[in-house]
Amino acid sequence: MKEKIEVRGLEVRYDGYVALKNINFKIPHPSFLVIMGPNGAGKTTLLKALLGLIPYQGKIEILGKKPKEAREFIGYMPQRDKINTNIPLKVRDVLLMPLLSKRSFGIRKKDIKRAKEALKFVGLQHLWDKDFLSLSGGQQQRVFFARTLAMEPKVIILDEPFSAMDVATKMKVVQFLHRLKNSKTIILVTHDINPLAECTDNVLLLNRVVIAFGRVVDVIKEENIKNLYGAPIPIVKTENVCYLVGSDAHVHT
Amino acid sequence: MFTPNIWVLRGIIAVFLISVVAASAGSFSIFQKSTFFVSGIAHSSLAGAALGIYISLYFFPINPFIMAMIFSVLFAVAIGIASHRKENIEVAIGIMFSFSMSLAILFLAMIKEYASVAWGLIIGDLLLLSSQDLIWMLITVALILLIFFTFRRKILFSIFDPEVAMVQGINPYLYETLLFILIALGVVVLLKGVGAILVYALLIVPAAAAKRIAGSFEGTIIYSFFISLISGLGGIFLSLFTSVVPSAYAGLIATFIYFLSLFRK
Ligand SMILES: Nc1ncnc2c1ncn2[C@@H]1O[C@H](COP(=O)(O)OP(=O)(O)OP(=O)(O)O)[C@@H](O)[C@H]1O
Ligand SMILES: [Mg+2]
Repeated sequence: MKEKIEVRGLEVRYDGYVALKNINFKIPHPSFLVIMGPNGAGKTTLLKALLGLIPYQGKIEILGKKPKEAREFIGYMPQRDKINTNIPLKVRDVLLMPLLSKRSFGIRKKDIKRAKEALKFVGLQHLWDKDFLSLSGGQQQRVFFARTLAMEPKVIILDEPFSAMDVATKMKVVQFLHRLKNSKTIILVTHDINPLAECTDNVLLLNRVVIAFGRVVDVIKEENIKNLYGAPIPIVKTENVCYLVGSDAHVHT
Repeated sequence: MFTPNIWVLRGIIAVFLISVVAASAGSFSIFQKSTFFVSGIAHSSLAGAALGIYISLYFFPINPFIMAMIFSVLFAVAIGIASHRKENIEVAIGIMFSFSMSLAILFLAMIKEYASVAWGLIIGDLLLLSSQDLIWMLITVALILLIFFTFRRKILFSIFDPEVAMVQGINPYLYETLLFILIALGVVVLLKGVGAILVYALLIVPAAAAKRIAGSFEGTIIYSFFISLISGLGGIFLSLFTSVVPSAYAGLIATFIYFLSLFRK
């Protein structure tokens, strides 16, 4: 594996509380990794460590670089964007923000094209000039997803990107991710593996430690799920994929 | 009756400069929800100016403007650090507010035989600006514009979405502090013209009204400029007929425009 993302002996503490302990895994680039686990399992914490946003112990290597140096080619979409709702921005302002922040003056045609294409990708091209704050939660989430794509990152890190999307949109974004995974590494946190079961390469079950890591068929097993959520959840097996019954692998602790 | 003289001309130039500050620093304080910060800064710059006057009366000549600037920039940096340390920003501002207000009262008491000087700092007078005052205002506004145009995009990103900004290699705390400094410089520009009490009226009120009227990012900036300009010029005009300082009228006009803006939408 020449190009890879590797985590070895990772540990994260918040004021003494051990949020993540002895995390080890390795995925190739490009590939698709889905991270699952109950609330408070440390999923967001793991993503933040990968981005170098929080202090950690252990080793993280992203395409040969440390997290802070790798940021330039990572696109990140936080779980609930802690955005400031006091700024009356247009959708285009939000999309262009990361691209424009690289320079003090002017807008490059190339950047506008990238932003427009990304917006088209999530099917919202007609909202280019709309007030961002007037969009629904799901539409805002799609714009943030488009913004992440417009940055043209090599590695895309998404924290529960579907939480406010309707089923149709979710399926569209999944198809899209499927097409991307030949060129980009996607790391995605979700509570619902079902729509992703066919396109993900690896699954990481996390609950402060790694419960299981590997291919979907090897990981999504009754005993692992029981270990993960502390309660048995029925699993349906089809030819080569396993499904958690219903779309609510959503377990609240 | 209306005779344009050098004082009125300086007042008009000052109003123009104040409007530039309202459009840049004022709009961004509204976006950042840091309007309480503006009142805090106004009082710390009052303390600084009072100390400056005290020193120049009894020790050596120093421009109160510079002392006001030092005080308010220090205040801004302190709040930036508190924000980085995850202190509740309102609490941090409140503490700095009381600290600088106490200092201001102390310094003003020490120069009490010059009560008119103190009064001037509190209510200002757009029609009593010296050419030296104006030059200081001009230099400060030039500095504000330089910072604003160079870093506005990074500042915007930092206050809109700090976490993603950080991943994009922008230190949001740094740019937030820079915004605080920008606002602090803006407050000092207004201090001389409209006084500590009414800084809020000409820095925040126009931007608040502008945001309601324009409903867009650029619109807020442009409208802030004109609302501040109309208020300031109106204030000067009305004060020519009475003995009241322009800032009082300007504050009334600005708040009146804000009330009108409430009827929109
Ligand atoms: N800034 C913080 N300070 C202290 N503790 C924190 C902090 N952030 C997270 N934690 C704790 O670390 C643990 C893991 O949090 P994390 O946000 O990573 O969970 P998660 O798996 O993303 O959960 P969810 O499914 O609800 O998003 C939780 O117990 C949480 O309380
Ligand atoms: Mg989370």
